[in-house]
Amino acid sequence: MTTERLPPDLAAAIARSADALGPFARLRHVAETDSTNDIALALAAGGEPEGTGVIADVQRQGRGRRGREWFSPPEAGVYLSVIVRPRGESTGWALLTLGIGVAAARAIRAQSGLPVELKWPNDLVIGRPWRKLGGVLCETSGARGGVDAVVVGLGVNLLRAAYPPELAERATSIETELGRPIDRALLVAALLVEMRAIVERLHAGEREHVRAAWRAFASGGLAGAPVSWQDQGRERRGRAEDIDVDGALLVRSDGRVERVIAGDVLWD
Amino acid sequence: MEFDDIKQLLDLVEKHDLAELEVERDGLKLRIRKAGREVTFVPAPVAPPPPAAPAIALAGGPAPVAAPAAAASDAESVDLAVIKSPIVGTFYRSSEPSAPAFVEVGDVVKKGQVLCIIEAMKLMNEIESDRDGEIAAIYVENGKPVQFGDRLFAVKVS
Repeated sequence: MTTERLPPDLAAAIARSADALGPFARLRHVAETDSTNDIALALAAGGEPEGTGVIADVQRQGRGRRGREWFSPPEAGVYLSVIVRPRGESTGWALLTLGIGVAAARAIRAQSGLPVELKWPNDLVIGRPWRKLGGVLCETSGARGGVDAVVVGLGVNLLRAAYPPELAERATSIETELGRPIDRALLVAALLVEMRAIVERLHAGEREHVRAAWRAFASGGLAGAPVSWQDQGRERRGRAEDIDVDGALLVRSDGRVERVIAGDVLWD
Repeated sequence: MEFDDIKQLLDLVEKHDLAELEVERDGLKLRIRKAGREVTFVPAPVAPPPPAAPAIALAGGPAPVAAPAAAASDAESVDLAVIKSPIVGTFYRSSEPSAPAFVEVGDVVKKGQVLCIIEAMKLMNEIESDRDGEIAAIYVENGKPVQFGDRLFAVKVS
């Protein structure tokens, strides 16, 4: 796997946070790639340990859920993928994807002061109506549930150039919201520190910590907020109430509480 | 063995036009035989004839089925490995809605080849074949929910 030296500012930011980063300091840099998730999946298959990350300046084929493109122009966003290796009881790791959302929201709030929120399960959103500031796509591969590595892919829009102007009603960037850009290297280091902290919580079995932290960032979309979702090709409507122990969204609909575990949920 | 398991076996018998199927699992032996048919195995069109027993052994079961000696000489065996869902989630047969399916019935697959994606909490789990073989059955429709342990594919082991 050909990777390049980290840019000097990023190398310095990582070095300053080395203690807090631990194994998450193993960050590799590529100027351009199709998708950082693809590189990280290959590294994971090759046995690279938890914490190994890949960051790119440009993604040619950055992707979101179900093949949607994640617009990734040069240095306009953070395009980062990190290997996580779940241990122990596998069911506890259902919360990983929500936890990564928490980590990203914490880092962005700390670095920018922006009141970023989470939309289930882990979209980074801001404002009313919500505009998307970033997203997470986690991928894994395996034969029979012997999942030994999850690749966590994270995209955060830093500059206005990170999203096409025609998406301005639904997408945004830190620069757009703040009126100025923030330091990419410092944000990346903060993202990695927070990701490690959440992953360590999950290793320690502290699922309630993750759920409580997620609720705190997602409260704007819970407590009876009206939502719609696709259920096997049929549109359903209901009111989002909470998440369950596995991170499934609990929606009250037609007098029953439904567990939504996959797919797009839209908030009115 | 539960009712659904038996129904899956009946489906297999029907799908592959088997005359008889005998399975032993968890101390229960089940023999399904179609009326009016001789106990001979209908050769599968693709699988080469291994020398062993005239039975379908579900891979992963505790005991392969012993072959009745009389039928052994002119019979063939087909090993079907059933790939089950390791998680609860939504089953997708392609990487994205506009993409072709990862596999179709009759496709020859290699160990490690991606067969489907199961999504849960926005984690995309690529499910791989754990052996070389041919896709004999796809049990779940695209976009449908699956539970832990649900059958996803049968792979005719080559």
